[in-house]
Amino acid sequence: MAAPLLEARDVSKRFGGVAALRHAQFSLRPGEVHALIGENGAGKSTLAKILAGSVKPDAGRILIDGQPAAIASPLDAQRLGIGIIYQELDLFPHLTVGENIVIGNLCFPEGRLTSPRNVDAFCRPFLEQAGLECGARRMAGSLSIGERQLLAIARALSMNARAILMDEPTSSLFDDAAERLFGLIRELKDRGVSIVYVSHKMDEIFRVCDRATVLRDGETVETVEVAATNAGEIIRLMVGRNLQIAARPYRRPLGEVVLEAHGLTSGKLKDVSFQLHRSEVLGVAGLVGSGRSELGAALFGLDRIRAGAIHLRGSPLQPASPRDAIRRGIGLLPEDRRLEGLMMRMSVIENSTLAVLARMQKLGFIRRRQEISALGPVVRQLALNCPSLASPAASLSGGNQQKVLLARWLLLDPDVFFLDDPTRGIDVGAKQDIYRIIDGLAAAGKGVMLVSSELPDLLRCCDRILVLSNGRLTAVYDAKEATQETIMASATSFGPHMRKPVKDAP
Amino acid sequence: MLDLLRRAQSLAALSGILVLAILISPVASDGSRIFLQPGNLTDILRQISLIGIIALAMTFVILTGGIDLSVGSLLAISTTLTAMALTRAWPHASYTSHILRAILASHILRAILAAVAVSTLAGAVNGAVISALRIQPFIVTLASMIGVRGLAKWLSSNENIDIGFGRDVAAEFAAVFRQKAIVIGSYACAAALFWILLARTVFGRHVRAIGDNEKAAEYAGLPIRGTKIWVYSLSGLLSGFAGVLYAAENHQGNPNAGVAYELDAIAAVVIGGTPLTGGKGSISGTIVGTLIMGVLTNMLRLKNVDSNVEMMIKAVIIVLAVAVQGRDSDK
Repeated sequence: MAAPLLEARDVSKRFGGVAALRHAQFSLRPGEVHALIGENGAGKSTLAKILAGSVKPDAGRILIDGQPAAIASPLDAQRLGIGIIYQELDLFPHLTVGENIVIGNLCFPEGRLTSPRNVDAFCRPFLEQAGLECGARRMAGSLSIGERQLLAIARALSMNARAILMDEPTSSLFDDAAERLFGLIRELKDRGVSIVYVSHKMDEIFRVCDRATVLRDGETVETVEVAATNAGEIIRLMVGRNLQIAARPYRRPLGEVVLEAHGLTSGKLKDVSFQLHRSEVLGVAGLVGSGRSELGAALFGLDRIRAGAIHLRGSPLQPASPRDAIRRGIGLLPEDRRLEGLMMRMSVIENSTLAVLARMQKLGFIRRRQEISALGPVVRQLALNCPSLASPAASLSGGNQQKVLLARWLLLDPDVFFLDDPTRGIDVGAKQDIYRIIDGLAAAGKGVMLVSSELPDLLRCCDRILVLSNGRLTAVYDAKEATQETIMASATSFGPHMRKPVKDAP
Repeated sequence: MLDLLRRAQSLAALSGILVLAILISPVASDGSRIFLQPGNLTDILRQISLIGIIALAMTFVILTGGIDLSVGSLLAISTTLTAMALTRAWPHASYTSHILRAILASHILRAILAAVAVSTLAGAVNGAVISALRIQPFIVTLASMIGVRGLAKWLSSNENIDIGFGRDVAAEFAAVFRQKAIVIGSYACAAALFWILLARTVFGRHVRAIGDNEKAAEYAGLPIRGTKIWVYSLSGLLSGFAGVLYAAENHQGNPNAGVAYELDAIAAVVIGGTPLTGGKGSISGTIVGTLIMGVLTNMLRLKNVDSNVEMMIKAVIIVLAVAVQGRDSDK
């Protein structure tokens, strides 16, 4: 067999205290579509970035056509024919489509003026190949997410890439845009371009990939032929065992209504009504962009409410700011813990007590002993694993970072918790701990709203599940009756029609 | 641990400069090193006190991720107002008996309070505009740096207001507030207070949290606006107080005083290990940073190094200090 086009041998990489990759192996044949698959945090994106030269490995070798290659920068990768499309779609929004393609592009003839006409001529064939039907002079910032994806592909094609790495390309695409992407991947493959497809979506792997390499906790588990395996087998490789998040032991009777929204309308939400009871875990399902995070933003005073009403414990609530919402008894665990949650340079204890310092002070002076004694039980409850309470948040693993953030809200002890994807990007053990905490909150009579992208988890943990699509509430299910299929159907239906709504509990 | 190392690092730099200063110090006729003479050492402390005081509040400002370019102008308005109040409100009053000395003290106190109140208020306006209109601190304080300087010159009709050496209020004020013990003592007290404020209080914790991640601070329900207004008010307060000391030391209210002080204060903060992005840093670091600049200046002046060469050497020190710190914070 011919030498692999691109190969990684024994690649290791650490970020702070976390080992992202440990002796990872990967080999890409010419002209294949190769999935790089694993749970969040398994190291897929890191490996892709190392192959593309944007992250430097601590140890290990990269080979191209069987020859050792030094990929020290994205420019090196470009020279060697490797293109990457990042999950975040790193475009320059204030440059035109054409300028985005030629900037830093070694194939754009040097010494040629970047006059719009030259740029147009250079870009046209690649835009056509990628199927992006817009002029090269449009501003990149005005493109939709799907179009930006195509622009990124056109850019990679224009660099004569023999291998294109795609990092979770469909994570923000709607179905039709994803469909177009799959078609394009097949075309590229027919032309002999190899593709590394980073994803954790099983159905996509089976639709477009030839082989799949499974990563778990930074290690390569196995490379399999997609045609000779099935989804169950791949999942087993990903999680290492037959994973069952323990189902909630029993469903406790719901308490009184603690939060009620009626016709809630904000920038994104349209006419959303629901009730949340004490002792209830109310799931919120929906695709990214469905308005599930915006529901939290509206309740928490981040987005302006344009119409409709919220009642908290029976009295009207119109939160003006998060500070206001917190004072009234609503806590929101944000979706992005790095950007919206933690102070990375501050310590575990400082992060945890930040919202409740008012209770731990005298004349403005922090009472440290009280701070430590208040945190003790919460740390045990969360099974928080950190070298010391004084270590900076940045030094912890993703799961423990999430627990620190959760500690902040547990200390504050609001009546209503809005948890926005609390298990995103954390390991299985920490996930179990967080679900255990959620159950504990319900047992203590709190109302919990849980957003998650992982439907099986929602089905196991929730009493009822709201499904949002395009800002509208399309269904409310009893978790015992719902299945992943019915929820997915409601999440992708764009009409305002309601499926059989569940009677609100007594 | 890293933090400790970093602090040790700037202390090591300070020790290095001290050793160098002792080694190259000229020798007096009695054989002692001039650098080590008590008079010289206290001179250093007196010389760094004004910038040192301003740099304390500047540390808070920079910790929130902001910057205050207006401190030099705030010092100027305060120094001008102090001199105007002392020389014009009670021009030729002379005080002999004990009862009259009490009146004298109250006159001086009122002049100081008025001057400091104005600069504090100007700082509060900076903070309010920054947090309410969400304009970058650089722009807002650049504007007030220009505007307040104009106000100071306009109020004083562009003239230095001299404080005499007679027996009037102004002269008494200058005699008291230019003493080394008062100047250095003020710096020491302010440093201790601000150190406690940052390390031990809820306010200090909020300042660091906002600088570390303002978005997360909003999500945690912290009083972001209020904290910022306070931070810039404190900067105004300390700049104003430095202005009072300036008036005494120089025997005049000079509306052109304090030009480029903001840059010296920022340099001291940055050398002390607080990055301009905010979020981490300490008062002790800023004090060390201020001392490094002060000892360096003194050492070079004792050697009669040209003041322009001195500036070039300082430029190198600033970049070196930050380069060394930048390397650890990558980890």
